[in-house]
Amino acid sequence: MAQLFSPGADAIYRLALLTGVACLAGIPIVAAGIVRSDYVTGVGIAPAQPVPFSHKHHSGELGVDCRYCHTTVETQATAGIPPTHTCMTCHSQIWTGSDMLKPVRDSFARDEPLQWVRLNKLPSYVYYNHSVHVTKGIGCSTCHGDVTSMQMTYRANAFEMQFCLDCHRDPAKYVRPQDQVWNMTWKPPANQATLGPELVAKNHIQGGERLTECAICHR
Amino acid sequence: MSGAILQPPSGAGLIAQDATLHGIGRAVAEVPLTHPSNRRWWIAFAGALALLGLFGGVLAYLLFTGVGIWGNNNAVVWALDIASYDWWIGVASGSLLVSAVLLLLGAEWRGAVNRVAETVALLCTCAAGLYPIIHLGRPWFFFWNLPYPNTYALWPQFRSPLLWDAIDIVSYLVVCVSLWYIGLLPDLASLRDRAVEDALAQEKAHGRSRKRALLKARAYGIVASGWRGSAAHWQLWVQAYRTIALLGVLLVVSLQTGASVMLAGSVMPGWHDTILPVTFLVNAVFSGVGVTAAVVVLVRSVYRLDGLISDRHLEILARLMLCLGCASLYCYATEFFSTFLHGDARERGVLVRRMTGEHAWAFWTVVACLLIPAQAFWSARMRRSTLAVAAIGLLVAVGAYADHVMVLVVTLAQDFLPSSRLAYSETIWGVATFAGSVGLFLTLLLLFLRYLPAVSITESRRLALAVTPTAAAAERKPVRESEMRPLAEERDEAQDAPLWGVSAAFASEADLAAAVSALSGLDASHVHLSAHGPVPMPRVVRTLGIAGRSIRAYAILGALAGGAAFYGMCVYATAYDYVFLIGGRPRFSWPSFVVPSLSFAMMSGTIAVHLALLILNRLPRLNHPAFNIPGFLRATDDRYFLSAEARGERFDADRIVRKLAALPAEAGRPLDIRRVPR
Repeated sequence: MAQLFSPGADAIYRLALLTGVACLAGIPIVAAGIVRSDYVTGVGIAPAQPVPFSHKHHSGELGVDCRYCHTTVETQATAGIPPTHTCMTCHSQIWTGSDMLKPVRDSFARDEPLQWVRLNKLPSYVYYNHSVHVTKGIGCSTCHGDVTSMQMTYRANAFEMQFCLDCHRDPAKYVRPQDQVWNMTWKPPANQATLGPELVAKNHIQGGERLTECAICHR
Repeated sequence: MSGAILQPPSGAGLIAQDATLHGIGRAVAEVPLTHPSNRRWWIAFAGALALLGLFGGVLAYLLFTGVGIWGNNNAVVWALDIASYDWWIGVASGSLLVSAVLLLLGAEWRGAVNRVAETVALLCTCAAGLYPIIHLGRPWFFFWNLPYPNTYALWPQFRSPLLWDAIDIVSYLVVCVSLWYIGLLPDLASLRDRAVEDALAQEKAHGRSRKRALLKARAYGIVASGWRGSAAHWQLWVQAYRTIALLGVLLVVSLQTGASVMLAGSVMPGWHDTILPVTFLVNAVFSGVGVTAAVVVLVRSVYRLDGLISDRHLEILARLMLCLGCASLYCYATEFFSTFLHGDARERGVLVRRMTGEHAWAFWTVVACLLIPAQAFWSARMRRSTLAVAAIGLLVAVGAYADHVMVLVVTLAQDFLPSSRLAYSETIWGVATFAGSVGLFLTLLLLFLRYLPAVSITESRRLALAVTPTAAAAERKPVRESEMRPLAEERDEAQDAPLWGVSAAFASEADLAAAVSALSGLDASHVHLSAHGPVPMPRVVRTLGIAGRSIRAYAILGALAGGAAFYGMCVYATAYDYVFLIGGRPRFSWPSFVVPSLSFAMMSGTIAVHLALLILNRLPRLNHPAFNIPGFLRATDDRYFLSAEARGERFDADRIVRKLAALPAEAGRPLDIRRVPR
């Protein structure tokens, strides 16, 4: 008998087998990488808005407080998107002829809200309440990043479950004194390890087991 | 199972007295290579495909609408879906267990049965594996049940039997595929060589292109991974086959008893008798033997393999069914007696409802199909009746299905709280789903029968060598001239081509062993001896001095490492990384981690053995100089070959040729000595 396969067939066959094995191991790894990538989560990507509103200019440079526009953040589940009237409190007086602000004036004149592109979304099966977070010492920037440095606003964190659980499993890592909640550049101080548990106790945050119950978020 | 059943005296009647190694190989290879009964096959295949189409349709409707189409409700959450799953995996476990136990006990006659049993096990696992996926509300998220790197920072709940099930079925599939494939490996090489022979014969007869026939040979060659039947291959093959069979037996016991413990984990009545794990196991083996017997009869009567699958084999299967039938009867009787004598009122209620309630048909089907028919095998006439063996085998399978329906539905339909009771009745969709899964099984089974050897060539040859005189005394004619023609057109091993080594052909393992020992004085640094043959060659392995090789260490290390790693993962996830209070169970719930760890250990042991078999044998190797040996096609047929491979300058071919030629005629003289080019 002579050879049924050429000598090169071995290399091809073994390569095919190894490729199969590599795919078996590699596909989950690649898939896990893709679902975490900014391409899928949208982190750091600023979409075009009807008006190129700059948080950096208004909040960072001019010093407008978060709560001037997001009025319900301390009292309700939603922080609130400001109505056009809020914009017009200033812009009926300044930059009144600016082309850039024409959509705002049109919206005001037609009594139709501006259609902002939403950045921070949670699935419908997640219950989230802004007021309990900010009043118990979780600052804006923990979730939304340093908004005051964003020329155009982008998503700072992917709101995946592991992001929420990171804090819910150990809130002491992130809780701040009440006067620091609105500080967009807050970093945990050196004594966070001692300060954190004190604040947790003071604010009556029931950490660990209570905060990781399914029904805390999935009601 | 008594010894008398497993070791029939002297193998009488198990294989035709005039069986030869060549004849066995031809008879089995005939089916995949020439497709006899082609028209009947196509008719059956069309029927199976129709059922498979039905399965596709049902699954599409299921995905579109949801599991409500099966009639399952808040009380009867498990009905035909889980009954079908349990039944499929039961048949799979049963047939795997039978094949593995026969292998471990060294029953020589198993060749007629074990291939069918292993195939049934594999195909049933495929059908079973689909049910846990499709019965999820959103099947496309089935992987949520597995520990994979997710963005939820969550682990699956390792204390839950649902996770055990997922790990069990994956492990079981791997073990099944591995056992099946290892058994098949030498037979695939046999098919490859028969296909080449056919191609050569075709060319000789008609002088026409052999492209298609060669393509077939190449296809078998690729799946055979370059198996050459060398003594070293066979040595590890025997070890690997037996080791994986042992791992499979342990997995089956864990799987089937685990299924009943899963039910016992609830508070529902009727699921707590301590004999239930045994009942599950017995009924699983019983149904597995039933289906295997039916398929064996089918193979035998359609492909006329009476010479290999003898009446004696069917009689053994019938006796096995009789034993298991009695065991099953005993389990039922024990459950009845213990429940009626000292069971609580709820348990008794369940038993009465089984016999008289809405689903009484299931109980009476169990009696009529599972418990009574096998008793017919007390009669020798019934044991010898082909029809009876097949019919009762199928009845047993039907009875086992009814048993699963009865156990699940009767208990679930009547909760303790009257307000939580909901009536359940089977819907047409539930039945259609099961019929569709049967279609999947039949389609795969028919493809197997058409393209793969339905009877183990290797095991049949070993049996023939052990019990029939003709097989042992093979023809002593030299290698046939026709086979010396090289496949490629440039014929003639040109004398100036570099020499790979010297080969010699023999008619029996004894001659080969004698020749090997005659050459064993040669220095291993310049000549490498190896032997090739159609069956395992323990004597040659001893003379070659490689008898100490073992792959059991890989099995043990693989299983221990895999099991420990999985157990460690359970502990890490449950006690440290994802502490989650559930039902007041402790953080370190060690007993609940044992079941999935055990299954995973069996799987990793199997993978380790499988890899060791291939890597230590330097397989896959499609192109090897040994294939240049003239007449080497018969190494998978009825010839034994010795090859002395040159390993350096001092290799002296003439001396080896002289030594071989000088051997006494009846003790090792080769039929043929050749110089083999590289």
